[in-house]
Amino acid sequence: MGEMTNQIVVAGGSLAGHSAVAELIGLVPDADIVWVTGERHRAYSKPALSKEFMQARNEIAELMLPGIECDLDRLRIVSRSCASLDSQAQAVELDDGERVAFDQLLIATGARARMPGILQGVRGVFPLRTLDDAVAIRESLAGKPKVVVIGGGLIGCEIAASMRTLGLEVTLIEQLDSLLDRPFGGAFGSYFLDLHRDNGVKLIMGGKVDRLTVDNGRVAGVELADGSRIGAQLVVVGAGSEPCTQWLDGSGLDVENGVVCDAYLATSRRGIFAAGDVARWTNPVYGIQMRVEHWTNASAQGRAAARNMAAAFSDRQELLKPFADVPYFWSDQYGQKIQMVGWHQGHDHVDLDRSGDAPGPLARFYRDGRLVAAAGINVPRIVMKLRRQIEEEARTLQAA
Amino acid sequence: MKIIVDRQRCDGNGVCMGIAPEVFDVDDDLYLHIAENIPEDPELRARVRQSITSCPILALKLVED
Ligand SMILES: Cc1cc2nc3c(=O)[nH]c(=O)nc-3n(C[C@H](O)[C@H](O)[C@H](O)COP(=O)(O)OP(=O)(O)OC[C@H]3O[C@@H](n4cnc5c(N)ncnc54)[C@H](O)[C@@H]3O)c2cc1C
Ligand code: SF4
Repeated sequence: MGEMTNQIVVAGGSLAGHSAVAELIGLVPDADIVWVTGERHRAYSKPALSKEFMQARNEIAELMLPGIECDLDRLRIVSRSCASLDSQAQAVELDDGERVAFDQLLIATGARARMPGILQGVRGVFPLRTLDDAVAIRESLAGKPKVVVIGGGLIGCEIAASMRTLGLEVTLIEQLDSLLDRPFGGAFGSYFLDLHRDNGVKLIMGGKVDRLTVDNGRVAGVELADGSRIGAQLVVVGAGSEPCTQWLDGSGLDVENGVVCDAYLATSRRGIFAAGDVARWTNPVYGIQMRVEHWTNASAQGRAAARNMAAAFSDRQELLKPFADVPYFWSDQYGQKIQMVGWHQGHDHVDLDRSGDAPGPLARFYRDGRLVAAAGINVPRIVMKLRRQIEEEARTLQAA
Repeated sequence: MKIIVDRQRCDGNGVCMGIAPEVFDVDDDLYLHIAENIPEDPELRARVRQSITSCPILALKLVED
């Protein structure tokens, strides 16, 4: 616009922040970018932390996202965290007290592991969200510990699979009666139970953790509500995650289980956008609000938000585009490739297909007769075809 | 345009195929096939580049633009 340089702040040093910064460098050559990472590491890839990295099949250097090439005068990378946001004055305050003004802000502060109070503060008990968590868990494997995994969601199941692959004794405790219930909408219930049992995981279903037993400050076991006790030298907790929005308290931004955005990833305040695990946006494919906590979403949203930000201040309307996307994620357990596309929440019908020549089971989720999601095991081509079908049906619906 | 994949690393998760199915195809043995000739279409090529940066295992490399 005018002679003054525009300043963009990107908060969050992981995938969504990284892909936004990389895109902004190319799109707005005349802006200064301050990237507040909240990290002492360079941006890295998280999916391997519970899989290849946990099994020592790759090392830290192989997790690092590509470096961002640009003129260093234009990009300032700050290894601090944002402590608060003043959306009126358009400035963020960092945890060392520095105030950084912005014309535009991208909130990409992701999510953090939820750690129930009874599991905190004991040595040998870890969440798994960051590289440091993964390194700490790996370091504690040397003594061949007995492992207890708390939680049968994606992280818990992947950890259990990695620990079994390493030959360790593993007990997994889940309070529901099925594994991976939320991510896969209850489909494949018995498949996952069999998969983990056949690979030697001791499953405790419907189990409720009451407390830890501690010996000299170190974990010695887990006690369940029914009085039973399981010995363990290592406990890994997969109790879900929560969006990192505490620093937005009092900012006036609309925050409700994530930062609320419109279809353009714009928040309730002008110039402020959000992307990745922290963003709850209106997905035009489904016409509803959702917060997606998966890899491809964070990478694509980071880029999409960057384009919409560039459009807003350089008057390049051709860049402006709603973020319409069919969510996608995969999981890898014992070499089985488990994939899910779409949004199954609110489905009213599931078609389970175990027959045919397909090498693995396949589930199709419908709502009001419309295909909304699909999941499959070792059938990547079919799953990806269904992803395109969901996309096309949505386009037809919107056009109608 | 030429792309190579590090076979030791690619785990067949299909992220690249989701973005540019015209070029990347993971078969049911989780083996990734990459098209030999990639059309000059700029929109497609932008998606191919996006696939490369989106691979969570960082297994794809652009060796010729
Ligand atoms: C162990 C593990 C395995 C996974 N496996 C898969 C998988 O197989 N498939 C899949 O699709 N997805 C997977 N995911 C999910 C995927 O990694 C996430 O969706 C992705 O990392 C989200 O990126 P993000 O940038 O939005 O947020 P995050 O990765 O959560 O990063 C948030 C960033 O914000 C920073 N930050 C936080 N607070 C502040 C603050 N106040 N100020 C400044 N910076 C701040 C943090 O330091 C961090 O850099 C996995 C995640 C984990 C943890
Ligand atoms: S995204 Fe990467 S790991 Fe996944 S199939 Fe493609 S090349 Fe392989």
